[in-house]
Amino acid sequence: MPLVIQTETGSNALAAQTATLRLSGSLDTATAPELEAQLVTLLAGPIKELVFDLAGLSFISSAGLRVIAQARKQLRERGGLASESRFSKT
Amino acid sequence: MKMEVHATPEEVMRAVEALREFGRVKQLPDNVVFGLALALEECGCNIVQHALGRDARRKFQVAVECRSAQILIELRDAGPEFDVTGFTKPRAPAHEDEAIGGWGIPIVRRYTDAIQYRREGNENVLLLIKHIDEPSAGRFKA
Repeated sequence: MPLVIQTETGSNALAAQTATLRLSGSLDTATAPELEAQLVTLLAGPIKELVFDLAGLSFISSAGLRVIAQARKQLRERGGLASESRFSKT
Repeated sequence: MKMEVHATPEEVMRAVEALREFGRVKQLPDNVVFGLALALEECGCNIVQHALGRDARRKFQVAVECRSAQILIELRDAGPEFDVTGFTKPRAPAHEDEAIGGWGIPIVRRYTDAIQYRREGNENVLLLIKHIDEPSAGRFKA
Protein backbone atom coordinates (compact mmCIF):
# COMPACT_ATOMS: atom_id res chain seq x y z
CA MET A 1 0.00 0.00 0.00
CA PRO A 2 1.50 3.38 -0.96
CA LEU A 3 2.04 6.36 1.31
CA VAL A 4 0.52 9.70 0.31
CA ILE A 5 2.01 12.83 1.86
CA GLN A 6 0.30 16.21 1.64
CA THR A 7 2.22 19.17 2.99
CA GLU A 8 0.61 22.44 4.05
CA THR A 9 2.73 25.41 4.98
CA GLY A 10 1.83 29.03 5.59
CA SER A 11 2.40 31.71 2.97
CA ASN A 12 3.81 34.56 5.07
CA ALA A 13 7.10 34.51 6.96
CA LEU A 14 5.59 33.73 10.34
CA ALA A 15 3.20 31.09 9.06
CA ALA A 16 6.02 29.51 7.10
CA GLN A 17 7.42 28.37 10.43
CA THR A 18 4.56 25.90 10.78
CA ALA A 19 3.63 22.95 8.61
CA THR A 20 1.12 20.12 8.63
CA LEU A 21 1.89 16.80 7.01
CA ARG A 22 -1.24 14.81 6.20
CA LEU A 23 -0.31 11.17 5.78
CA SER A 24 -2.49 8.48 4.28
CA GLY A 25 -1.94 4.86 3.33
CA SER A 26 0.79 2.84 4.99
CA LEU A 27 3.81 4.24 6.82
CA ASP A 28 6.08 1.23 6.99
CA THR A 29 9.58 0.01 6.26
CA ALA A 30 9.07 0.40 2.50
CA THR A 31 7.48 3.87 2.59
CA ALA A 32 9.18 5.52 5.59
CA PRO A 33 12.14 6.65 3.40
CA GLU A 34 9.67 8.75 1.33
CA LEU A 35 8.60 10.62 4.46
CA GLU A 36 12.21 10.93 5.58
CA ALA A 37 13.17 12.51 2.24
CA GLN A 38 10.27 14.95 2.41
CA LEU A 39 11.24 15.93 5.94
CA VAL A 40 14.83 16.62 4.91
CA THR A 41 13.54 19.17 2.41
CA LEU A 42 11.00 20.62 4.81
CA LEU A 43 13.35 20.92 7.76
CA ALA A 44 15.96 22.63 5.60
CA GLY A 45 13.61 25.62 5.77
CA PRO A 46 12.56 27.78 8.73
CA ILE A 47 10.01 25.29 10.13
CA LYS A 48 9.65 25.44 13.91
CA GLU A 49 6.35 23.61 14.38
CA LEU A 50 5.28 20.47 12.61
CA VAL A 51 2.02 18.54 12.90
CA PHE A 52 1.73 15.00 11.62
CA ASP A 53 -1.92 14.33 10.81
CA LEU A 54 -2.18 10.55 10.88
CA ALA A 55 -5.94 10.23 10.33
CA GLY A 56 -5.53 8.74 6.86
CA LEU A 57 -3.05 6.06 7.87
CA SER A 58 -4.23 2.46 7.81
CA PHE A 59 -0.92 1.16 9.14
CA ILE A 60 2.14 2.53 10.91
CA SER A 61 5.10 0.52 12.12
CA SER A 62 8.24 1.31 14.08
CA ALA A 63 9.99 2.35 10.85
CA GLY A 64 7.48 5.18 10.51
CA LEU A 65 7.53 6.10 14.19
CA ARG A 66 11.31 6.30 14.01
CA VAL A 67 11.15 8.93 11.24
CA ILE A 68 8.62 10.99 13.20
CA ALA A 69 10.74 10.72 16.34
CA GLN A 70 13.82 11.88 14.41
CA ALA A 71 11.93 14.93 13.15
CA ARG A 72 10.77 15.72 16.68
CA LYS A 73 14.36 15.50 17.92
CA GLN A 74 15.61 17.76 15.14
CA LEU A 75 12.93 20.34 15.83
CA ARG A 76 13.57 20.30 19.56
CA GLU A 77 17.23 20.99 18.90
CA ARG A 78 16.23 24.19 17.11
CA GLY A 79 13.69 25.18 19.74
CA GLY A 80 10.67 23.90 17.85
CA LEU A 81 8.23 21.07 18.34
CA ALA A 82 6.43 18.30 16.49
CA SER A 83 3.14 16.67 17.35
CA GLU A 84 0.98 13.87 16.04
CA SER A 85 -2.77 13.79 15.74
CA ARG A 86 -5.62 11.50 14.91
CA PHE A 87 -4.24 7.99 14.54
CA SER A 88 -7.02 5.68 15.60
CA LYS A 89 -6.00 2.14 14.60
CA THR A 90 -5.35 -0.12 17.61
CA MET B 1 0.62 -19.73 3.01
CA LYS B 2 4.30 -20.00 2.07
CA MET B 3 6.39 -17.55 0.13
CA GLU B 4 9.95 -16.62 -0.74
CA VAL B 5 10.88 -13.02 -0.04
CA HIS B 6 13.80 -11.05 -1.43
CA ALA B 7 15.84 -9.08 1.11
CA THR B 8 14.28 -5.66 0.49
CA PRO B 9 11.81 -3.53 2.49
CA GLU B 10 9.29 -3.72 -0.38
CA GLU B 11 9.40 -7.49 -0.30
CA VAL B 12 8.91 -7.51 3.47
CA MET B 13 5.73 -5.50 2.94
CA ARG B 14 4.64 -7.95 0.23
CA ALA B 15 4.85 -10.66 2.89
CA VAL B 16 2.88 -8.45 5.30
CA GLU B 17 0.18 -7.95 2.65
CA ALA B 18 0.06 -11.72 2.08
CA LEU B 19 -0.45 -12.16 5.83
CA ARG B 20 -3.31 -9.65 5.74
CA GLU B 21 -4.91 -11.54 2.86
CA PHE B 22 -4.46 -14.79 4.79
CA GLY B 23 -6.22 -13.15 7.73
CA ARG B 24 -9.11 -12.04 5.52
CA VAL B 25 -9.55 -15.49 4.00
CA LYS B 26 -9.37 -17.20 7.39
CA GLN B 27 -11.61 -14.54 8.95
CA LEU B 28 -9.11 -13.84 11.71
CA PRO B 29 -9.80 -10.94 14.11
CA ASP B 30 -8.60 -7.60 12.69
CA ASN B 31 -6.70 -6.63 15.84
CA VAL B 32 -4.80 -9.94 15.81
CA VAL B 33 -3.84 -9.56 12.16
CA PHE B 34 -2.80 -5.94 12.75
CA GLY B 35 -0.46 -6.97 15.58
CA LEU B 36 0.96 -9.88 13.64
CA ALA B 37 1.54 -7.62 10.64
CA LEU B 38 3.65 -5.37 12.87
CA ALA B 39 5.53 -8.37 14.27
CA LEU B 40 6.17 -9.84 10.82
CA GLU B 41 7.42 -6.51 9.50
CA GLU B 42 9.83 -6.14 12.41
CA CYS B 43 11.19 -9.67 12.06
CA GLY B 44 11.41 -9.37 8.28
CA CYS B 45 13.31 -6.09 8.58
CA ASN B 46 15.76 -7.67 11.00
CA ILE B 47 16.44 -10.46 8.52
CA VAL B 48 16.82 -8.03 5.60
CA GLN B 49 19.17 -5.71 7.47
CA HIS B 50 21.14 -7.97 9.76
CA ALA B 51 20.98 -11.51 8.42
CA LEU B 52 21.04 -10.85 4.67
CA GLY B 53 22.74 -7.45 4.60
CA ARG B 54 20.09 -5.83 2.38
CA ASP B 55 21.32 -7.93 -0.52
CA ALA B 56 18.24 -8.01 -2.78
CA ARG B 57 19.50 -11.14 -4.54
CA ARG B 58 19.17 -13.14 -1.32
CA LYS B 59 15.87 -14.55 -0.14
CA PHE B 60 14.20 -15.79 3.01
CA GLN B 61 11.05 -17.79 3.56
CA VAL B 62 7.82 -16.88 5.32
CA ALA B 63 5.14 -19.43 6.18
CA VAL B 64 1.85 -18.72 7.92
CA GLU B 65 -0.66 -21.27 9.11
CA CYS B 66 -3.58 -21.71 11.48
CA ARG B 67 -3.36 -24.74 13.70
CA SER B 68 -6.15 -25.38 16.24
CA ALA B 69 -6.46 -22.09 18.11
CA GLN B 70 -3.07 -20.70 17.08
CA ILE B 71 -1.61 -18.68 14.26
CA LEU B 72 1.97 -19.66 13.47
CA ILE B 73 4.38 -17.53 11.45
CA GLU B 74 7.69 -19.10 10.55
CA LEU B 75 10.59 -17.08 9.14
CA ARG B 76 13.59 -18.94 7.78
CA ASP B 77 16.85 -17.33 6.63
CA ALA B 78 20.36 -18.47 5.84
CA GLY B 79 22.09 -15.62 7.64
CA PRO B 80 24.58 -15.85 10.50
CA GLU B 81 23.23 -17.47 13.64
CA PHE B 82 21.18 -15.01 15.66
CA ASP B 83 18.79 -15.92 18.44
CA VAL B 84 16.39 -13.02 18.69
CA THR B 85 14.76 -14.58 21.76
CA GLY B 86 17.97 -13.88 23.66
CA PHE B 87 17.67 -10.16 23.01
CA THR B 88 17.28 -8.32 26.28
CA LYS B 89 15.38 -5.09 26.58
CA PRO B 90 17.72 -2.11 26.75
CA ARG B 91 17.65 0.07 29.83
CA ALA B 92 14.99 2.75 29.96
CA PRO B 93 16.25 5.84 28.14
CA ALA B 94 17.23 8.77 30.32
CA HIS B 95 15.86 11.15 27.71
CA GLU B 96 13.19 10.82 25.03
CA ASP B 97 15.76 11.42 22.29
CA GLU B 98 17.60 8.26 23.30
CA ALA B 99 14.49 6.22 22.59
CA ILE B 100 14.75 6.38 18.78
CA GLY B 101 15.24 2.79 17.66
CA GLY B 102 15.36 -0.51 19.50
CA TRP B 103 11.60 -0.92 19.30
CA GLY B 104 11.47 -3.96 17.03
CA ILE B 105 11.79 -6.86 19.43
CA PRO B 106 9.55 -5.30 22.12
CA ILE B 107 6.86 -4.86 19.44
CA VAL B 108 7.17 -8.50 18.41
CA ARG B 109 6.85 -9.57 22.04
CA ARG B 110 3.88 -7.27 22.55
CA TYR B 111 1.84 -8.74 19.71
CA THR B 112 2.71 -12.44 19.99
CA ASP B 113 2.24 -14.99 22.77
CA ALA B 114 5.46 -16.90 22.19
CA ILE B 115 8.63 -16.64 20.12
CA GLN B 116 10.72 -19.70 19.46
CA TYR B 117 14.13 -19.85 17.80
CA ARG B 118 16.17 -22.76 16.53
CA ARG B 119 19.18 -23.17 14.27
CA GLU B 120 18.56 -25.80 11.58
CA GLY B 121 21.62 -26.57 9.47
CA ASN B 122 22.74 -23.18 8.22
CA GLU B 123 19.35 -21.54 8.78
CA ASN B 124 17.80 -19.39 11.46
CA VAL B 125 14.23 -20.52 12.07
CA LEU B 126 12.03 -18.11 13.99
CA LEU B 127 8.51 -19.10 14.98
CA LEU B 128 5.96 -16.52 16.13
CA ILE B 129 2.93 -17.94 17.91
CA LYS B 130 -0.34 -16.15 18.56
CA HIS B 131 -3.20 -17.76 20.44
CA ILE B 132 -6.72 -16.96 19.37
CA ASP B 133 -9.37 -16.63 22.05
CA GLU B 134 -11.84 -19.49 22.00
CA PRO B 135 -14.82 -17.41 20.84
CA SER B 136 -12.81 -16.23 17.86
CA ALA B 137 -11.18 -19.59 17.35
CA GLY B 138 -14.54 -21.08 16.52
CA ARG B 139 -14.97 -18.51 13.76
CA PHE B 140 -11.86 -18.81 11.69
CA LYS B 141 -11.57 -21.23 8.81
CA ALA B 142 -9.02 -24.00 9.36
